[in-house]
Amino acid sequence: MTLPRTRIWPAVAAVVLIQSAALGWMVWDRVSLLTSGREIALDVIPVDPRDMFRGDYVILGYDISRLPAALVPPNLKYGTRLYVTLERGADEVWTPVAASETYSAPEGDLRVVIAGRLQDGTGAVSAEGATHWIRYGIESYFVPEGEGLAIEAQVRERKIKALVSVGPDGKTALKGLLAGGKLIHAQPVL
Amino acid sequence: MWVTQKRLARDVARWREAGWVTAPGETEILKELAKGSGPGLAGALAVLAAVLLGFAVMSFVAANWQDMPRTLRLGILFGGLWAAYGTAGVLFQRGLDLFGHAAVLAGVAIFGASIMLIAQMFHIDGNPPDAVLMWALGALLAGTALRSNPALAFAMVLMVVWYWMESAAREAVYWPFLFGWAAVAAAFTWQRWLPGLHIAALALSIFTVFIGYLVNRGHAHELVVAAGLAAAAASFAGARIEPRFEALWSAGLTYGAGTAFAGLYAMQFLENILLYDGVQDAPRLIVTAMLSLALALGAIAWGFRSGNRALLWSGYIGFSLEILSLYFKTVGSLIGTSLFFLIAALIVAALAALAWRLHARETSEVTS
Repeated sequence: MTLPRTRIWPAVAAVVLIQSAALGWMVWDRVSLLTSGREIALDVIPVDPRDMFRGDYVILGYDISRLPAALVPPNLKYGTRLYVTLERGADEVWTPVAASETYSAPEGDLRVVIAGRLQDGTGAVSAEGATHWIRYGIESYFVPEGEGLAIEAQVRERKIKALVSVGPDGKTALKGLLAGGKLIHAQPVL
Repeated sequence: MWVTQKRLARDVARWREAGWVTAPGETEILKELAKGSGPGLAGALAVLAAVLLGFAVMSFVAANWQDMPRTLRLGILFGGLWAAYGTAGVLFQRGLDLFGHAAVLAGVAIFGASIMLIAQMFHIDGNPPDAVLMWALGALLAGTALRSNPALAFAMVLMVVWYWMESAAREAVYWPFLFGWAAVAAAFTWQRWLPGLHIAALALSIFTVFIGYLVNRGHAHELVVAAGLAAAAASFAGARIEPRFEALWSAGLTYGAGTAFAGLYAMQFLENILLYDGVQDAPRLIVTAMLSLALALGAIAWGFRSGNRALLWSGYIGFSLEILSLYFKTVGSLIGTSLFFLIAALIVAALAALAWRLHARETSEVTS
């Protein structure tokens, strides 16, 4: 069955509008988070020091990606949404202090709550010293081709931190990379 | 049937000589032929030039992508999306449906690329299957609104990819696939596009067969066989009750039988692949092998009876696959295999004799 003549342009308009709206929502969601969110700097653990900035896609690991089993509620499935409360220590390092399935606003400037998804299920009882892997959505960083090697050199010498924007609902977005407190890589939001 | 102009000209000359076509008739036919041969070389070259230009634009954009501010990149993506669908609209209006569908596919491709590129631009690290689902829904929208079957076919492919990603991450069956599948299958039905129904049936069969590998730690093939047989039986009954949906029933029968066969095959040859031939469960193998052969023979018989070529050929292929695999696997021992084949041969020969007698009786009834 083909489209009758009179319906062609309304149909095209519908498809264009709906698909553009979907893409536009993706953009707006990010832009609003990046411009109005709270900025925090998280220590980055290189996932593979050799290949870290080769090519244009980088996997970032964080200390906070592994939560101590004691903090995580038991009997949760893969993919469960968790809200992790981070506390800033004297050395400017954020450490997880609590995790819950519901969001509660953080108290004070030294605390922030970020949302993540559990990447492995929790059993009823956890082993001593076990950790659970959480994915916050800030693990991928896209570096322009050719700039990776320069950044890699800096990683070897100083510790890289990720500049992250945290929204009022715990959602996070990557703003850029810091090395030694200086912004070494970031783009204007739009 | 694809007939070349030269061949047709020769045929028309021959028909004129035989007196079936008059001389003025021949001239008119040849004139008509020369007219309706489409855009020809000029048109084909124009299309190729357009394709080359398209690739030139894409390469240029890719080369300068990193230097562009985000606003410009978004402008290019949205502009490309609108241009693709706008072009599709123009082409459909001009009656150039084939090119119109190509433009719709280009629009769907740009939608998918935009999802990926926006994610990259803003370092979005969501759940990758979600991006594929979003793309699939976009393809479904374009296919349904613009009545574009190629876009719907692509939507089904994306749904299967989405399922595969989600089920691989969980190492379990991801049941929401059925919702996506149903949406695209409904669109195919609404469009009355027969190849689409085949694509839908194939996707569902693949989904069913993989259940056997995902549930119960990969030993749930009995479920697959049961599901396949149930589908075949339902199609069998359905053909009697509601003969209107003939295409649906014959497809259901073929795909159901095929799914059941795949399950039986897995039970026989893929599950015990690590066991030595001596340790395998011979009685179980014999039962499932007999079932497989019976299924294949049934498909062949019914294929002949109902004129369902697909079913007939599936039966032949299934039968051949089964005996070849049995030959290589051996039924307990080589002598056991030989005995098995002998018994099977005797049974099939008896069936052949029976079929011959029925056929002879039918033709004598017709002629008498």
